[in-house]
Amino acid sequence: MTRRWVTVVVAWALVGIPLCWGVYKTLQTAVKLFR
Amino acid sequence: MAGWLAKQRIVAQPGFNRWLVPPAALAIHLSIGMAYGLSVFWLPLSRAIGITAPAAGDWKVSTLGWTFSLGIVFLGLSAAVFGRWLEREGPRKAGVVAAFCWGGGFAIGALAVHLHNIWLLYLGLGIIGGCGLGLGYISPVSTLIKWFPDRRGMATGMAIMGFGGGAMIGSPLANILMNHFKTAASVGVEETFLTMGAIYFVAMLCGAFGYRLPPPGWQPAGWTAPPQANAMITKRQVHVDQAWRTPQFWMLWVVLCMNVSAGIGVINMASPMLQEVFGGRLAGAIGTLKDLSDAQKVQVATIGAGFAALLSLFNIAGRFFWASLSDYLGRKRTYFIFFSLGFVLYALAPTAGAAGSVPLFVAIFCVILTMYGGGFATIPAYLADMFGVVHVGAIHGRLLTAWSTAGVLGPVLVNYLREYQIGHGVPAAQAYNTTMYILAGLLVAGFVANLMVRPVAERYFMTDAQLAEVR
Repeated sequence: MTRRWVTVVVAWALVGIPLCWGVYKTLQTAVKLFR
Repeated sequence: MAGWLAKQRIVAQPGFNRWLVPPAALAIHLSIGMAYGLSVFWLPLSRAIGITAPAAGDWKVSTLGWTFSLGIVFLGLSAAVFGRWLEREGPRKAGVVAAFCWGGGFAIGALAVHLHNIWLLYLGLGIIGGCGLGLGYISPVSTLIKWFPDRRGMATGMAIMGFGGGAMIGSPLANILMNHFKTAASVGVEETFLTMGAIYFVAMLCGAFGYRLPPPGWQPAGWTAPPQANAMITKRQVHVDQAWRTPQFWMLWVVLCMNVSAGIGVINMASPMLQEVFGGRLAGAIGTLKDLSDAQKVQVATIGAGFAALLSLFNIAGRFFWASLSDYLGRKRTYFIFFSLGFVLYALAPTAGAAGSVPLFVAIFCVILTMYGGGFATIPAYLADMFGVVHVGAIHGRLLTAWSTAGVLGPVLVNYLREYQIGHGVPAAQAYNTTMYILAGLLVAGFVANLMVRPVAERYFMTDAQLAEVR
């Protein structure tokens, strides 16, 4: 059971990390609206 | 190889964790979502020969922009044409074909840049890549709905959120790669196309091979289907060839088309609209854009870019938020909110501009963009509620022609109206007012269409014999 959940966490990390990086880069641009 | 892709080979073993399917879908949607970020290549490509500045024979940005339009048109067409094939052959085969088309489209694009042939670019990234977009977009829909009968909206919302987020990853990555590959003799796009094509090909293959279908009759542990209390959620099935003959299909087509047309119109004009409506106030100065110094104009343009970035964040957040919320509110009620709240906000935007309130203006468009994304993400669950899950991928594919239509209708409407008004002496800052009221009118049409959605008539449902044949 634990091994299956590890696979789930790894799978989510593989798509989640690039997505978080993309959101971070977009936020860097978006904050210029508030400066 | 063909055996690995077969529908029968991807039925999940007992104990399979259904939470592995959404990341597989996201891998594909995050890859094809780069379609929205293709514009990052147009400026460097417009000086592919001149390198530092456009030279004779260089492509114009407007010529390059047709690649995206072709991609969206072929997204809708391929989703409509191949949706039934997808349901027959299974999501893995569709995902693999999508990977070849999208990754291959970038490779052909690289060749087009090398040969400096615009038609090859249209063929590669526009037509072949567009087919990859369509197949990739619909490939996980029915699979996710079957794995998450208890949370249909949330499941498809997660995948479709990926399509909105693809450009957020792809655009900065493309900039990094182009800077890395550029030389005194090259703008670096050719190598970037090849690299990104390879990355997307691998990511999409991983996603496609991550797809699993639930065994027949599978249900989440501890969950039982609610008794038929809600007439708007059928337990029966409509064949894709019957679905488009129902009034419900066309009402939902209008719902999607109107929601997307209005949203695309706003996305296209968001940044220039903020700059023209508020002018010098954005840079702490007095007057319109024409009165500003070059430094102030750069400052205002940077703020406009920040506004566009903020809207893209709300667009993807809305995809997950509204689609998940629709599981509790119901789909019809969710679209009721989109159209009624949307109407109020579109109509209020010119007032916020006239009042000079930047925060109110920005807040209005952020909420509007959540509903634009939410409209995309909630429609697969709405279709599953109305027509059942057996052919929902194919039905969704046909409905996406509404997106192709809106992709042309929205920008044309906004640009034509703006030019018409400015041509008739309306100041640039006020030229958007009428446009906003017309976009609000589109939402009224969507509101009426949504209101007219009723349960599908008995004669359209599949018989038990037809169902057995499909299964």
